[in-house]
Amino acid sequence: MTQNALNSVTMAGGRSGLMMRLLPMSQQLVVVVLLAIEIIIFSIVGRNFLTVENAFEVIRQNVEIGLLALALTPVIVAGGIDLSVGSLIALCAVVLGMSWQDWGLPLGVAVGVALLIGTAAGLLNGLLITRLGIAPLIVTLGSMSLFKGLAEGLMSGRAPFTHFSTWFNELGNRYLFGFLPEQVLIFVVAAIAFGLLLHRTTIGRTLVAIGFSFDGARYAGVPVCRRLLLVYCLSGLVAGLAAVIYVARVGEANAGAGRGYELYAITAVVLGGTSIFGGRGTVAGTLLALFAIGILRNGLRLADQPAELAGVLVGTLLIVAIIGNKLINQLTDLSAGRTLSIRRERGNPT
Amino acid sequence: MIRKYLREISVGVAYLVLLGLLAFKSPSFFQADNIRQLLVEIVPALVAAVGMTLVIITRQIDISIGSVFSLCAYIAALMAHQGVPVPLAFGTAIGCGALMGALNGLLIATLALPSIVVTLATMVIWQQALAWWKQGAPVASLPAGFHWFGLNQMAGQWIEAIIALLIFLAFATAMRYLAAGRAIYATGSDYEAARLAGIRPKLVTFNVFVLMGILTAAASILNAVIMEKVYPTSGDKLELRVIAAVVVGGVAISGGRGRLIGVLIGVALLGTIGRALIFLHARSEWGATIQGTIILLAVSSDALDRSRR
Amino acid sequence: MSNLLKLSDVTKSFAGVRALRGVCFGLSGGEVHALIGENGAGKSTLIRVVTGAHLADSGTLQIAGQTIIRNSPVISRSLGVAVIYQQPALFGDLTVAENIAIALEPRTAWRAIRWNKRRAMARELLARVGSDISPDAEVRQLSMPQQQLVEIAKALGADARIFIMDEPTASLSDREVEHLFGVIKSLRQRDAGIVYISHRLEEIERIADRVTVLRDGTRVATHPMSEINRAEMIRLMVGRESSAIFPKTQVKPGAAVLELQNVCCNSTGVHGIDLSVRAGEIVGLAGLVGAGRTELARVLFGLTPADTGRIKIQGRTVQIRSPRQAIDLGIACLPEDRRKHGVILEMPVAQNITLSSLPRVSMRGWLSFRRERLIAHALVDRLGVKTASLSSATGTLSGGNQQKVALARWLAIEPKLVILDEPTQGVDVGAKSEIHRLMGELAQRGIAILMISSELPEILGMCDRIAVMHGGTITSVLDREKATQEKILDLALGLSGRKEAVPA
Repeated sequence: MTQNALNSVTMAGGRSGLMMRLLPMSQQLVVVVLLAIEIIIFSIVGRNFLTVENAFEVIRQNVEIGLLALALTPVIVAGGIDLSVGSLIALCAVVLGMSWQDWGLPLGVAVGVALLIGTAAGLLNGLLITRLGIAPLIVTLGSMSLFKGLAEGLMSGRAPFTHFSTWFNELGNRYLFGFLPEQVLIFVVAAIAFGLLLHRTTIGRTLVAIGFSFDGARYAGVPVCRRLLLVYCLSGLVAGLAAVIYVARVGEANAGAGRGYELYAITAVVLGGTSIFGGRGTVAGTLLALFAIGILRNGLRLADQPAELAGVLVGTLLIVAIIGNKLINQLTDLSAGRTLSIRRERGNPT
Repeated sequence: MIRKYLREISVGVAYLVLLGLLAFKSPSFFQADNIRQLLVEIVPALVAAVGMTLVIITRQIDISIGSVFSLCAYIAALMAHQGVPVPLAFGTAIGCGALMGALNGLLIATLALPSIVVTLATMVIWQQALAWWKQGAPVASLPAGFHWFGLNQMAGQWIEAIIALLIFLAFATAMRYLAAGRAIYATGSDYEAARLAGIRPKLVTFNVFVLMGILTAAASILNAVIMEKVYPTSGDKLELRVIAAVVVGGVAISGGRGRLIGVLIGVALLGTIGRALIFLHARSEWGATIQGTIILLAVSSDALDRSRR
Repeated sequence: MSNLLKLSDVTKSFAGVRALRGVCFGLSGGEVHALIGENGAGKSTLIRVVTGAHLADSGTLQIAGQTIIRNSPVISRSLGVAVIYQQPALFGDLTVAENIAIALEPRTAWRAIRWNKRRAMARELLARVGSDISPDAEVRQLSMPQQQLVEIAKALGADARIFIMDEPTASLSDREVEHLFGVIKSLRQRDAGIVYISHRLEEIERIADRVTVLRDGTRVATHPMSEINRAEMIRLMVGRESSAIFPKTQVKPGAAVLELQNVCCNSTGVHGIDLSVRAGEIVGLAGLVGAGRTELARVLFGLTPADTGRIKIQGRTVQIRSPRQAIDLGIACLPEDRRKHGVILEMPVAQNITLSSLPRVSMRGWLSFRRERLIAHALVDRLGVKTASLSSATGTLSGGNQQKVALARWLAIEPKLVILDEPTQGVDVGAKSEIHRLMGELAQRGIAILMISSELPEILGMCDRIAVMHGGTITSVLDREKATQEKILDLALGLSGRKEAVPA
């Protein structure tokens, strides 16, 4: 290769090398700025906004959706999606209530049963996706209906389960050291665990590879099916955990639990910079987006604004964020090689 | 031939089995009155499913249709309630549907943003905006010309069915025998190849989303005229029901493949189950379970068929 | 001789990187004008400017005497430009007839489709390229060469005067290549012009009238074919004399690394495979496309596991059910499709290199970024990968360098057996000889190599023994000294040679 060609390769490489490091950050930077603006505005207009109690309240109110978003991050990074998590919360909540009240299991065991059902449901999703090669969107759309239906069927004609033991209700409502809600502790542990899994382990690395190119990962010897099974099982397990926390916080188990949560969780993940096509994404981004959404809701409430305004704003933000991300991508995406690479990509089953 | 129409045949057979079961267990299901009510229940989903079929064949998806549906029906009802002539109210609703579809289309086609994210965002926006606007209050006391298009119930029911059938036939024919329909298949099958073949895939994508908006609005009107009151949540979860019916009908989520005839059977099958359960004296709460199972069975059979080949 | 195509001073940049600078190019009726150059030299960009898939930044473009201001695929086609792309630009979900028709019918939206007419037209055009593919077949179910033929039929039907063929023979068998050359000849007699792009210089010597060489986006030379030879073309393409093209090093083979006895895989049609590869030996797999070579590689790598037969690695009978198991056994496999399977384009170079050897850069599943960089750095140096940094996205590298990254990944697992599937296809001349040099080096270190190649000179130049496949099985194994191009071709076409079991 001549000197000339070498230079041009180096140039293109150099720019993209820098961008490879900045790109995943670009959307996170947008969200950080957004967070800062929110905090400034709400500390001016809202009452009692900038207090420790309120900060933990924001997290406490969002733990269930937050957990789902954490578990969905590796799923979406691996090029998949799981729409069934919201319905699964309902199913797990109902199973929790039934196994405690109807089957007379100790509450601790009932919690275990709920987690087990969640994992099994995730396994079902994973098996249909990997063994039969069906698009995750379709599989989880079907299982969303299935889990929801099972929860409704089991609950048909009966009152929600209530009057759980005190220790259990405290799980959702007690404050450690007087200020730290118990479930926030669980959330922090989960966030660290998912962050490490995705960014510091070989498993996380292979998930990124699968998300970028399913076939490419297969040819590299990545056990793609096992990895996908793992993320869907984790997603199910976490949905079970979210169900337990939900029941503890609300004090009631019914088939309406978790309704629509999957969309909020997916919104948070995508707002946090995870590509819906897989490959790119970070747990930190998801956390930032969760805070941005949670603070927006909380701040608007404290400023006596309607809750729906938060919804409209989150939707708008989502569009603005992906447009911004797209523009940054276009500005930095210099090489013709990349446009060509996208050209004939038929993609993995998404 | 059988191989090509395997999905249509198998879903059709499943539907016949269901009808056979009903005929055996509960012949009263087939009373004309009940059939007309069933048709009216299915019709809005069918019209929306026609649009969704085009969207999915283009290799996109639209999960905002539930919100668009609610909003359009609400606008039409509110205008009629305030004395605007009913045809004008309907026209405005359809125009709003087209605009909302155009917004999706603009973001997806010209900016090349992923449709699932864009429509997720617009779904939340329309839904929350509507809830904010009227705080969930339904529109009641609609003018006479609104309910059943001003006809009596039976005539209204027939008109509903006929309108839906005409829409279905028009699109089914166009998708097979019109160059515009083939351009939709081509765009969904391979976007870049379509561009090289001189089809303008951006324009096709945009138009498909506008059509989706118009058809959703039309579906919402067909639904609204049945109602005494129009609630701002009339389209909740519609997107999932419609996508499920389209997928059961054999349209590939990966784009470029599928026929409207299959979608018709899919809509009919999933739409009949709820009512059938009542007639079979089963608890209707199990409807969603059965629908979920049907979806998973249908897509699994597809996958198994593929691996056998 | 009419002037069909004239480009002058065409420049095209992609966000700051010059792909073409001041290129001039002409094409007359009845002429075959070859366009050659290394990968990334700007050939594809030049074509895309002519077809309107890209717009030039500056310069003028004349098609059939008309100056085009703002080109588009529609305009260029209406002026008689037809393109046969390297990778067929076909709709996999649609039928053959529709694929052909879409390119030929007028582009109005409100036009009724006449399916019978479409089928008849497709059948006629396919007959002209000597194929009996059914017009009702779905394109996705056709093989690559069949798709290439559909692509050619499509171009013929366009009644074009300017044919642009971008590596049309890349996946064709020799028989089909001959047929294509016949078609080109008849087109030329009808006073059409053909722009012919190929890496196979021997083809160009056969059919081209003129040849233009591109290097780094500039035109280096245009010569009548009679005034230039192969060596000169290579020199112009790389900008220096090409040294020994096949640096074959003699290695004394050691013990058998891979032994196959009657290996069959029903789903892919591979059957009755007997073969052995020894340490330090390079065994070539020759044969036509579809003869089962890639399929055999996939069996050995566990992608489509064998149903019956015995596979031995270093004398031990093994089962290979997945790529993971293959890698654990020390088998590496460089796949044919680099962009889809060989590397992950969006991932950084370092991560691509360590993807198959993650245990080596981790402790109990925890990644060590330091160790990853060390290993990747060593391999980038050893293979001479030209990249700005280890964290550059692999897709930003040139094709040859991507291929080196793919190779580096397999060297990182320290393999005993390396399967190379068309390792130099679509790779520029410079990188090609470096890959050949590396193969020699690996052989010297006692690694067994099984190389699939459709390029007979490469097979003859590099391999110690050559196994020829036909119809899903190995029909013959030739020693290096006894092998000639003619002999291999005969065997590959199934014209001679019954199964002579010669596992060495």
